[in-house]
Formats: sequence, structure tokens, C-alpha cells
Amino acid sequence: MSIATELAPAPGRRVGLMQRVVNHRADYLYVLPALAVMMIVIAYPVYYTLELSLFKTPANLQMKDKVYVGLDNYVTILTSQSFRDVTVNTLIWTISSTLISFLLGLCAALALHREFAGRGVLRAVLLVPYVVSAVAASYVWKWLYHSDFGVIGALSVQFGFTDRPINFLDNLYTVLPSLIVVNIWREFSFAMIMLMAGLQTVPDQLLRAAQVDGANTWQRFWHVTFPHLKGVSMVTLLLLMVANFNSFIIPWVMTGGGPAGASDIWITQIYQLAFGRQRWGLASAYAVILFVVLMTLGYFYVKALTRGDEARA
Amino acid sequence: MKNSRNRAAEAGRQSRRQVLTSSVALALAASMMSTAVHAQSVDISKWSPEYVRSIAGTEEVNTAAECSKVVPLDYKGRLTYWYTGPSDAEPEITKQMDKEFWVAWKATYPNIQTDAQNINYNDLLDKFRTALLGNAGPMVVRLQILGGVEFAAKGYLQELKPEDVGYKTADFWPGALKSVTYDGKTYGIPTNNETMAFIWNAKIFKDAGLDGDKPPATWDEVVKDSKQIHDKLGIAGYGLVAKQNAGNTPFRFMPQLWAYGGAALDEADPAPTYKNIGLNSPGAKAALQAAYDMYVRDKSVPVSALTNTQNENQGPFIAGQLAMMIAHPAEYAKMVDLASKATGADKKVADAVVANMRYGLIPEGPARRAVVFGGSNIHVLKPEYVDGGTDEMAVKALICMWTSPEWSTRLNWVGSNPGNLRGFKTKWMKERLEQIKFLDVTTSMLPNGIPFPVVPEAPEIMNIIVPDMLQNALTGKMTVDAAADDAAAKVKALLGGL
Repeated sequence: MSIATELAPAPGRRVGLMQRVVNHRADYLYVLPALAVMMIVIAYPVYYTLELSLFKTPANLQMKDKVYVGLDNYVTILTSQSFRDVTVNTLIWTISSTLISFLLGLCAALALHREFAGRGVLRAVLLVPYVVSAVAASYVWKWLYHSDFGVIGALSVQFGFTDRPINFLDNLYTVLPSLIVVNIWREFSFAMIMLMAGLQTVPDQLLRAAQVDGANTWQRFWHVTFPHLKGVSMVTLLLLMVANFNSFIIPWVMTGGGPAGASDIWITQIYQLAFGRQRWGLASAYAVILFVVLMTLGYFYVKALTRGDEARA
Repeated sequence: MKNSRNRAAEAGRQSRRQVLTSSVALALAASMMSTAVHAQSVDISKWSPEYVRSIAGTEEVNTAAECSKVVPLDYKGRLTYWYTGPSDAEPEITKQMDKEFWVAWKATYPNIQTDAQNINYNDLLDKFRTALLGNAGPMVVRLQILGGVEFAAKGYLQELKPEDVGYKTADFWPGALKSVTYDGKTYGIPTNNETMAFIWNAKIFKDAGLDGDKPPATWDEVVKDSKQIHDKLGIAGYGLVAKQNAGNTPFRFMPQLWAYGGAALDEADPAPTYKNIGLNSPGAKAALQAAYDMYVRDKSVPVSALTNTQNENQGPFIAGQLAMMIAHPAEYAKMVDLASKATGADKKVADAVVANMRYGLIPEGPARRAVVFGGSNIHVLKPEYVDGGTDEMAVKALICMWTSPEWSTRLNWVGSNPGNLRGFKTKWMKERLEQIKFLDVTTSMLPNGIPFPVVPEAPEIMNIIVPDMLQNALTGKMTVDAAADDAAAKVKALLGGL
């Protein structure tokens, strides 16, 4: 018999919070080390970021001499044109990357779910972008895209598609789509792995039964396979979205947010404000806004993860 | 016996030299009027390529003996030091000199336990700022010339002047000392001073119908020649760089902006107050217009200029695909290095480029000839911001050696000039002048040097606002006028306390 059971109150009697803590003191002791670490590495930085977001940090003052400005930083950000521009970029970046990566990952997972010669090799090849260092991949793509001497531009001229190399990265309108392609190339295999795992849970007998009932391929996918993938799809989409909101390496290494801010997204803007301009207060306010968005996504992620548990309970 | 072509080339060289000398003399005269000249260790009133050559090798130095007067050689202590040393992209000689310094340091002060970190140019400031937030900085840091004032203004740095480590104020360029002076106090010692020069490929000039031995004399000519080269040969003329958040950009654009009479603040004035904003002045707009004309109108510069730093210009230049650029004296060594690594047909092209590589003065504009007075300074942190406190004697020993005539010359072998003016008199300077082609040209640009504004906001103005202004204009996001006005407004807001 467990301690908790031994100390359980009589049915119908309300138990106070403190009493419950006391009743479960052993459980709390077990999680205390993890809680302590989380307080240090997560809770304190979150608190400090919140605090810092209420201050200005001029270039001639040390951090300890920062000036309290209340919510001014939030007002400055939310009313600035650059915030609107960066937010539009961030949404385009996140939604495009997430949806296209997911769809490509789904196609790849469905293709690789069937038995065929060379499946193992192909699966390994498709995983390569995901395991390659993001920094290295960014440099490689930067050179592939290079506006004067890039391989892609040279090939397009050689094959007569264009009369001069395509300007991928030095143009206001092509830079963001070009970076999104790189991002999708890197992360679609993550979606593929997740969905391949999900496909293992689809019962064969259901698919066979549907086939016997005369369902065609699309109907079997839509009515049998996809419903079984809903949970894992939700989790995959949320994880991709969080990763893309936080994605820093590709835009930073390839363009630094340029040209003229055309590939600036929230996270590069935060980095630039903090480390380029030393506007720690403004950067913190930006980070808090991003934190709220990500926490909202996190809430849905947890809901998606625990949906089955609730149903079972 | 010389043929007529050689004689013509010789005559061209002589006339270039005369122009060079007279330009240097004029620029120096102008700078003399505004600079209080102390009894310098060298006579900077005579500064010219000939004078630099004449004093080289005239003074014997014994670094260990000089530094032993400041800190005994058997001193036992501990030292932490951050600096930007040689990177992979730099010539072998630079890496070798860095290694030799640390060997000499260990031999001179064997009892000082040293933790020296070589940190990438673009990362050092970020890392240093972050470390200071946690009071975990190094005892000594060497920062680019633009970097120190921010930390002096914030009160992180100790006062430090040449006399503290056994040298005289007169041993250093007055302009360089200005860059370590904030609020009337000196917070560092110049380790090296550099000015860049204009580089061109004589063969490309000839192929494009230009005079291969005559670089553009003015910035307007740069625009014209760049277009002619692009139109005739289909390659990029001038190696414009306009990357965001990169020190490379202001180092190459500000000379143009100053030449047309513009400024970021009023740093080009003889007695700057740093209170006036010059980014939207007619001169600044003219310079921006010239950049716009090259990038947008003529398309005579690399399309990738918006993501390029000077490193990205090196490949096209050695491949004969770029005709002009602004760079250090080290660029020649870099090109020789690249040519030595090339193979097959590439090797032939690269060797031809090296043979046709020329250095000249940076073109002048309607207002002046100008170049960024660059370099680095060494600083000492206050003990409360140092991880484990400061060992004053160890700090002085390192700075004495690093800024000595010997090491301020050797550590800047191909890339710069000795911060300690006595370095110009050493045998190593003589050796450098013999070894490094065109060193006299870049060195002779020093009197045209203008330091960036000595205000704590300077890094943001130069590394972010100026490149942003260029990008806004070159991408067509804003008109030239609007981009300049926008940049000026940002500087105004910044100086007004954000």
C-alpha cells in the first residue's frame, strides 16, 4: 500500500492544498531536483526578461543603471512599422515552412511506408538534410544561391531559363521564398519521421477491410489512414511551428535579415536589437511577445499530446 | 636597356609617386592644422612613402629589456586576454607571427599563467558585452578602434595611457589616441593603425580601354570606370560591399561619403563636437547616389553586394572577374596565397591577376580624400568586472610587450601598421617594406585617416544605421533622399537616448 493511499482522506472530505502537499511529500521530494534546475535555467531567465522589458538601456549606461520606462518598450514595438513588417515576414516564414514541410513529409512518409527495393537507402538519404548542421547547410545554400557566381544561377543561364543569374538573396521579393525553400529542405524529413511512426499505428486489418469493401486508394487514405494520423499530425505541425517561430540560423547566416530587412523575422530582430544595438529592454519586450505566442502554441501542443489521456480518463 | 613601354611605365610610376607624395603632404598639412602635434617619436610632418622607407631599420630595440623596467621578468602571476587574432582566411605569415609572439611571451614572462582567447572579429564585441553583464570579462581586451568608447562610457575600463607601460604619448599617432580618449581621459593604447588603399587590376583596365596604370582619381571616375568595365567586359567593376551589420561596409563606404563632403556626425571636421548629424547632408546624399548609380543604374558592381563582405570580393578578384576594390595591404599577400593554391587554368588566371594587381590612393571627392583611420586598441578592465580579479602587473607586462615597437610591428605584418610609431624605425619595418608590395602606399594614406565618431553609439551608427541606409537605397525600398533622411532620423533618435 502506498503512502498516498495510507494518508488518503475519508470520502467526501475536502482536502486543502497544504494537506495535499504534505500527503504527497515524497512525490514532491522526488521532483524537487528537476524543479530546482528548471527554476534556475527557465524561471529566472523568464522573470529577468520580463523585468528587463520594462527598462531602457542606453549605450552609455551599464545594465545596473538602466532606466525604468514601464510599458514604453511594448508600445514602441507594437506601434512601429518595422514590427508590422517583421511580423508579416515571420508569419509567411512560419506558416509556409510548416505547411509545406508537413505536406512533403507526409508524401515522403506514405511513399516510404510501402515495401520496395532501395527503401532503406532512400529513407537514409532523405534524412540527410535533417542531420546536417544548420550552419553548414546555410553556407552551402548561400553559395548555391549566390547572385553572381551561384551554381543554381549558372545552371539557369546555361540551360537558357534566364539570361543572367537569378538574384535570390539580394532582392527584396525573392529573398524570403528562397530562405523558406532551404528551411523546408532541412525540416521536411522531421515531419517524415514523425508521420512514418504514425503510419505504423494504422491497423492493417482496417485497411484490408476497407479494400474488401471496395474503397479506392484515396478513400482508404482519407477514411482510414488519415484519422489515425490526426494526433501525430497535430503534434508534428505544432512542433514545426514552434521551431519555425524560433528559427534563427538559416536567415541569420544566409542574409542577416537583409536586404533592407526583407528576411528579418522576430527572432533575428530580437538578436539584432539585443546584440547588435544593445537595446536589451526593447529586445526583451520583443522576446516576451514571442514567448506569449509560443506559450499559446505550447498549450495546444500539450492539449494534443494529452487528448488521448483525457479520453481514457 | 629599357624599351619604350618600360620607360613609359617608369614615367607613370614616377608621376604617380609625385602625385602620391604631394597628396600626402597636402593631407598632412591639413591634418596638422587641426591636430596638436607633440614631439612625436617620428617626424610625421615629413610623412611620405620615402620618409617611411628612410627611417625603417634605424633603431635597435630590445623588448624584454624595455618591459623589464615596467614588470620584472620573473614576475609570477595570472592573465586573461581576449583579442581578434589571425583567422583561417588570413595569410600564413600572420598566423606565424601570432604564434611567435606567444612563444616570446612565454620566454619573457615564463611565470605568468596566461589564458588568451582568439575570438572572431564579428563575435568579440557580443561575447565581451555578454561577459561584462556577468562581471566575467577578461583582464585585458583588444578591440577594434570603434569598440572601446562604448565600454569607457559605461565605466568598465580603467584609465590606461602609454606612460603606464613604459612608453610615451608621443610614441603614438595623435588620431589614434583620440580614439581611446573619452571625456578627456585615456582608456587604452593603440596597438596598430591602418588605412586601406585602392586596388585595381591593370589588365582589366586595359582590356576595357582604360589606362591600366592610372587608377580613378575621383569617386566620380570610379562610377564611370566601373560602368565602362562592366559594359565592355561583362564583369563587375567596383567591389561594392553593403552587407547589414558588418564592419566591412562602413570601412568602405565612409571614405566615399567623407570624400563627397558628408559625415555620420561631424567626425570629418577638424574639431568635431559629435553633436551634428551629417548623414542627410548634400555630401552624404551625393555619395549614396554614386553607390546607387553603380548598383542600380549601371549594374556595374556585384549583384551580391548586399550580402557581401570584402571576403566575398577576394574570389572574384583573383579570378579576374572584379576590377577594383578597397582593401588592406594584406590583400596582396592574400592574393599571392590564393594564386599559390590555384591549379590548372585557374592558376594561370590567378598569376596574371597578381602580376596586374596595383595599389593606389583611395580616390578623392569634391571635399577631400579620406580613409577610415582604423586599427585596434588594447584596454584594461576594472577589477570588479573581471572573472577572478585583475593582476595589474601581468596586465602591464602583456601590454608592454604587445604595444612594443617590435611586436606592434610584427603582429601586424601584412595587415596594418605599428601602433607604436617607433615600430616604423625597426628592422622589422624595413623587412616589411621589402617584402610587402605596396605597403608604402597604404601607409601613406594614414594622414588622410578619419577616425569614426568617438561616441558610445558609434558601433550602431556605423555597423547598422549606415549599412541599412545603403540597403534601403540600393534595394529601392526608399529613394536615396529618403534613405539618407531615415538614417539621419535614426541617428538623432539614438543620440537622444533611444
